[in-house]
Amino acid sequence: MTSRIKNFPGTSLSEKDFADGKALFVHDELKADYAWDTGVGIGAYLASLKRGQILGARCDHCRKIVVPPRTVCEWCFKPMSEYVPVQDTGTVNTFSLCYVTWDVQRITEPEIPAVIMLDGASELSESSVIMGGIMHKLGEVDPKKVHIGMRVQAVWKPESEREGAITDILYFKPI
Amino acid sequence: MTLLERDPQAPAAWRGNLPVTSRYTYGIAGEKFFRALKDEGKIMGAECPTCGITYVPARAFCERCLSELTEWTDVGLVGELHTFTLVFVDYDGRPLYEPELVGFVSFGDGGIVHKLEADPDTLEIGMKMEAVLKPKTKRTGSILDIQHFKPVK
Repeated sequence: MTSRIKNFPGTSLSEKDFADGKALFVHDELKADYAWDTGVGIGAYLASLKRGQILGARCDHCRKIVVPPRTVCEWCFKPMSEYVPVQDTGTVNTFSLCYVTWDVQRITEPEIPAVIMLDGASELSESSVIMGGIMHKLGEVDPKKVHIGMRVQAVWKPESEREGAITDILYFKPI
Repeated sequence: MTLLERDPQAPAAWRGNLPVTSRYTYGIAGEKFFRALKDEGKIMGAECPTCGITYVPARAFCERCLSELTEWTDVGLVGELHTFTLVFVDYDGRPLYEPELVGFVSFGDGGIVHKLEADPDTLEIGMKMEAVLKPKTKRTGSILDIQHFKPVK
């Protein structure tokens, strides 16, 4: 709650002070490009997002369906049996109202990150919090009305704009 | 049992870029040092009256006795070549077509690491090296306001 603190110790500098040349500085930009191997499971997941589908994987031994798909079952360590699409509707498992952006800018309308348990994936149990839930944002919703258990549905980008990324889903909105 | 297969349309890699930017301010002593370099073309040192050490670049406190250093002096643009090396790769590890000369030029009890403009075969440890500054209008208050050091003729 730094907005409540009126006076910070020390001498602070504003953007204007830098523009006016009040303080010398060196600006640096680090080149931090990266390429992350998608692997078999996440590769299939991203390819299916481009097709407008959320993909999971089923383990016949555990009878579990996990999203995103893994190639090996995390419970019994057997190879997963099959890719299975799940629905793009689900239930809010947990959420947060976030008043700062990733680069620490204050915002008045909160972003609402949430974990959504997707329909068709295995349900939550005491040992399987990560099984059928994906992390995404909520949209088209009054932040005050968001609640655990709320039913939501994915809002997709138009097909021509999809690129095989989790952002091909813009957000989830209440049904 | 076989493993799930790779989707032929799957992207091989997820590519991204981390936007990492920084703005470094020099602090109280650094600000004063670089102002003197930028505005007056001077390299400043700071002398500790207790320890008799001349710090170059100048700093705010003596690192031996921790007393505040108030006596700042212009140490001139000529120092002594303490050591040097030829650099054959750039920051990203790529080979350079022309190797670059880098050296440590000592002033007082300190000194400055910088580029050298000279024939490497003619360089000798202990020789006098002079700072070549950018024209005043082009100086920004950076160590690069010194273009390089060259041997004093």
